[in-house]
This record gives sequence, C-alpha cells and structure tokens, in this order.
Amino acid sequence: MKDGKEDCIAGACHRAGGRDGGMRLERKRRQRGRDGRSHVRHDCSGRIIGQKITIKYWYAFGDKIEEAKRHLVEQFNASQDRIEVVAEHQGNYDDLHAKVQAAFAAGNAPAVTDLEIASTGVFARSGMLQELTGFADRDKEKVKLDDFIPGLMGNAYVDGKLYGLPFMRSTPIMYKNATMLKEAGLDPEGPKTWDELEQYARVLKEHGKTAMTMPVDIWFYEALVAQSGGTVLSEDGKSAAFQSPEGVAPVEFWQRLAKEGLLKIPVGDEAGATADKDWANQLSAFKFGSTAGVSGSLEIAKGNGFELAASFMPANKSYGVPTGGCQLVMTSKLSDEEKEAAWEFIMFMTSTENTIYQHKHVGYLPTRLTAIESEELKTHFKEFPQYKVAVDQLEYARPRPMENAYPEVTKMMKEAIEKAILDPNANPQEIMNEAAEKANKLLAK
Amino acid sequence: MTIWHKLRPYGMVAPAIVIFTMFFLYPIFYMIYLSLFDWNFVSPTKTFVGLANFRDLLTDSDFMKVLSNTTMYTLLTVTLTTILALLLALWLNRKSLFHGFVQGAIFSPHIISLVSISLLWSWLMDPEYGLLNWIIGLFGFGPLQWLSHPGTSLVSLVIVAVWKGLGYNTLVFIAGLQSIPGDIYEAAALDESKPWTTFAKLTLPMLSPTIFFLVIINLIGSFQVFETIAIMTQGGPVNSTNTLVYYIYENGFRFFKIGYASAAGVILLVIVGALTIVYFRLLARRVHYR
Repeated sequence: MKDGKEDCIAGACHRAGGRDGGMRLERKRRQRGRDGRSHVRHDCSGRIIGQKITIKYWYAFGDKIEEAKRHLVEQFNASQDRIEVVAEHQGNYDDLHAKVQAAFAAGNAPAVTDLEIASTGVFARSGMLQELTGFADRDKEKVKLDDFIPGLMGNAYVDGKLYGLPFMRSTPIMYKNATMLKEAGLDPEGPKTWDELEQYARVLKEHGKTAMTMPVDIWFYEALVAQSGGTVLSEDGKSAAFQSPEGVAPVEFWQRLAKEGLLKIPVGDEAGATADKDWANQLSAFKFGSTAGVSGSLEIAKGNGFELAASFMPANKSYGVPTGGCQLVMTSKLSDEEKEAAWEFIMFMTSTENTIYQHKHVGYLPTRLTAIESEELKTHFKEFPQYKVAVDQLEYARPRPMENAYPEVTKMMKEAIEKAILDPNANPQEIMNEAAEKANKLLAK
Repeated sequence: MTIWHKLRPYGMVAPAIVIFTMFFLYPIFYMIYLSLFDWNFVSPTKTFVGLANFRDLLTDSDFMKVLSNTTMYTLLTVTLTTILALLLALWLNRKSLFHGFVQGAIFSPHIISLVSISLLWSWLMDPEYGLLNWIIGLFGFGPLQWLSHPGTSLVSLVIVAVWKGLGYNTLVFIAGLQSIPGDIYEAAALDESKPWTTFAKLTLPMLSPTIFFLVIINLIGSFQVFETIAIMTQGGPVNSTNTLVYYIYENGFRFFKIGYASAAGVILLVIVGALTIVYFRLLARRVHYR
C-alpha cells in the first residue's frame, strides 16, 4: 500500500496508471528494476498494476491431461504475483508443432510450449528454442538435473546442449482385461513374449474374442523393433535401419497375426480410436497405449466391470520400448524478463511435487528419482500397481530418433506397414526396402 | 482539369489495389520466390537450390499419386454434384410446401461448417460402429471400410463433398430455371414438343451459363479440397486421399519443408490457372448467352 501511495505522489499515475500490460509499463518496470526499487507497483487506488509479466504457454491434448496442465498453471499463478501464465490448448502434438512454427515465423510464439520429444531436434536446430544449459547451471541447486530419471534425458539434449526438461513423459505399456483372460483360462500375468501373445491370441479366438485391436502407430513399431534388438535408424541417423531383419520382424509378425484374424489392425485416421473402443467394449483383451492412459483406463475398467492389469510390452529377444510424451521448452526471441519468467515456470512445472501430481492424475511417468522414492508414490504404487509398470519398464527404454526428417520418415514407415497389413500376400521385406530407399534420400541430406 | 481530377480515380481504386497487392500478389510472388529455396520457415539461413524442388516434386511417386488423387476427386465431385443438382432442381422447380421443405433440407449442409460435417461423417462412416454400415447391412450388403481402406476412402470423401455442395448447386440451378422466360415454353408447347426435346433443345441451352458457372466454381473448389481430408483421413490410408492442398500443408507444416511446399503451391497455381483459362475458352464457345 505504501509503495502505491508513493507512486501516486511521484506522479506515476499520470503516466501509467490504469493502462495495464502495455509496452510503456514494461519499459517502466525495467527502469524501476534498475533503480533497485520495489517491483510491486500500485495504481492510485492501491490496486496492484503492471508489475506482472504475462507469458503464454501452449499445450497439447484434452481430458485428464488438460486438467492436470491447467491445474498446475493455476497453482503456479497463485503461488506468486510476478508472473501470469496464460495456458492455451492447441490440439494434438502435430497441430501444436505446426502452430508453434507458424507463430514463431510470425513473431508471436508462446514463451513456453509442450514439445513432443522426437521433434526436439528439428525445433532446436532451426533456432526456435532457447538453450537452457545456462539457466540450469545457474540454478542447479533448484532444478537438480541429476534428479531426473537419466533415461528421460536422452531427448532433452540436442548436440550436447540442453533444450527441454521432461514434463509429461511416457512409455507404451500393455493394458489387459484380466477378467477376460481368466474366463478364457489364461494367466493374467502373461503374455510376456511375442510367442505367448500368439498363444494367448489363439485361445482368445476360440472364445470369440480378439486378442488385440491395434493401430499402425510408429511409436509401437519402434518398441517392437527394439524388442527384436534393432533400431529404426542407423546409429548416426543418416540412413534407415528398419529394412534390417529386426525392423522387418515386427511387420511380418503383425501381418501374419492379422491374416489369421488373431490381431485386428485397422488402418486410417480412426484406427487408434477403434482400438480403444474395442478394448473398452471388451471385444479385445489387450491394447497397447501410453502410460498416460492409466487413470482413464482404470475408470473405464471400473465402469464396465472388469479388472485392469498392465504389464510391459511383450518381449521378442528382449523387452524394449521408446520413451514418449513431451518436454517443456522455451522459445527463443524472448526478452530477458520473459526468459526468466519462462524458466521459473518450467522449473515449477517439473518439480518433484508437481511431477507426482501429474503422475497420479493422468498416469504419465513421475520424472524425478525423488518422486519415485517418495512415500506418497510408494503407497500409491502398492494400491495401484498399474501406475508402476511404465516406471519399471524404463530399464528397457530408449530415446526416440530426433533427425530433422524423422516426421516424414515416420509417415513412410507407417504407409509401408499399412500396405503390408492391407495386402496379406505382400512381402514385408520388399515393402520395407522400398520405404528405406525413399527414407535414405531424406536422411542423407 | 485540376490535378485532383486526374488523380481522383487512382485515389478511389487505391484501397482495392493495396489490398489486392498485399494479400494476393505479394503472397504469390513470395511463394514463387520461396519455391527456389530449401528452407524451414524459421531457420535464419535459406539455401538457394534453383529448380531442385520442382525436379524432386516431378520425380516423386507420392506427388504423382497426389496429383492423380486430386484429379480423380475433382472429376467425380464436379460430375456428380452437377448432374444430381440439375436433376433435383428440375424436380424441385415448383411451388409447394413439400418441395420447399426438401429444398431447405438439402440446402442446410451448405451452411454447416465443414469441420462439423467432417466429424459427423467420420462417425457415420466408422467401419465398426457407424450408422452407414448398419443401414447397408439392413439391405444385406457387407460392411464397407469407407475411409479406412485405400479402395473406398477417396470415394467416401467425394460423397461428403457432394452432400455438402448439392444444396447450393440446386439452388443456383433453380434460380437459373426460373429465369428462363415462360413464353419460350408456351411456344414449345404450341409446337407439341416432347418433354425430352424441350429439355434437351430448350432448357439445357438456356441453362448453359448456369452450368458453366457451377462447373467452374466446383472445379476450382474441389481442386483445393483440404478440411475434410485434414480431419477425416490425414491423407491416408497409404496416401490414398492425399490431395494437392493437403500435401502442401503436410510438407510445409508437418515436415517443415517450406521451399518444397511452395513449389507444390506453384504447381497448384499453374494447374488451376490453366484449367480456368482452358474451360473459359472451350466452354465459352458452347455457352448460350442471352
């Protein structure tokens, strides 16, 4: 109050009173900061004005994910009175990325945005992202980089520089209708391998059920390639590796099981939704899905009266999954104040306390070791072991490729695999060779 | 004659010229300029590559597929819409409560946002849970995969486009029919002209400006189809519904290849421009203008 009165006496009201947020206030605030005077300013009636810096935060997805993100933003805004974060929904990751890019080109990018991990490379190399190494060094006591689960940091660095902090991170896991499995006389602990999955599928088929409805999702494909002991791209990222035996094995497996009617693999835009619906309606016993679906799936299982079990994706030579989800990044071209505000916001969103919150609300991984070791989560895991599957599976997790051309290569792989599924007599090796040839042209650039 | 009088016309057209230049000419020339570069829209460096983008496009089998998809989609949509709308207009061209109701009903899709329509039809065409498969099931036909199979996906999109465009086209046709003077029909009746002869020798020629107008705007509209594809198929499955504008969007905003996307944009510009000129030339000779 006193500050406010002084401001009035000093005549500040005549210059800025009542005009919120504009450039003038911004400039005045900076001057004030240099003068070493209070950052809190008031208008003549004592109302706090202008001292707040407003930054935009763009995020992806709705439902529980959106609830958690909005809740955290509200908490952040309530926790202090210097920074106001305005959160805006932008659709799925693809929509979000396209909009951030366009907004950046137009000079109107959000200060902070979700970024799907595989796109970190292209965004960072295009100069759209603010490097965070300096901030993390300065605030290392607070941000504690080594507290993040090491397996989640692979996509945080591009060319050795830090660009993002793990936020809502995931691995794909296998959701199981344990009730259906028991009714078919199957052990709900399994299937642990591809062969067992096939055996389960035969038994389930006899009971008139589909083992699994599954979209051709490259994230799952990356997992199956890893399980076969391979990678989709070569070590240096300059060429395709999905035409290798390890890359073709999943395609052959899917094609064969789909042909025999053991797996249902719809193609097209609605395929993912169909897989979820089939599982929810108890037409299929399993679904692959991000751990982000644990809370939602538990609700579905409860509502439809069946028991939900979750486990690792089955192994071929070994277990293996890519990580997924998004990290929080800061765009470049911000003023110093905006950078500080954005950094403070990113640190808040990724703190131990908040990663526990988002994990329990949605199902995404807790990203910090201190979170996993906390009493709160230990108790939580005991009560709902489904939440712990992805955490344990991290032992077998790997980062996703981050090459600039990877989004387009993803499309090529997806098309190739869909071709093999649609035409059961097609030769998977030939189809993958053809796609690899196309992909190599892009990757070699 | 003062200077003011000389300058006034220019002053009057200036706003239109400025807007035309800013939002039409400038983007076109900027696109042509960008098509010569390898750039991702945001990186500080643009690499000049000459005509390499065009060479890559024309040797890319995906792009050829995209062109043939677009052509097929356009031909089917324009033909079906025009024929169905003409038939409906002939039937609806009379005054009764029922005909008015039908006309209103088929016009209503025109005022609904394409996004809503796309979502609605995605649901209708769902292979598992969709209403359409249930209906054709009642008549003993097997379930169709609609949007989820390369064989039916493009036709499914054509159905949506025809359904959406039918009402507007019918309305324009009815207006065209009603503007044909009644005395010509009286004369035809006096000559005991058969209905088919009246239609072929009288109605159709009198309607040809309307047909011409609709074909042109449908053609240009169909060539630029985007929303239904972005929402219903994303160009899939296996590129079977990827059309020119979606391809441009995909390359520009999903794969961040602005130069390549601009090159495809230049090709779209050339095609639509050429089609317009050809159709104006060809059809203008046959069109009967009063």
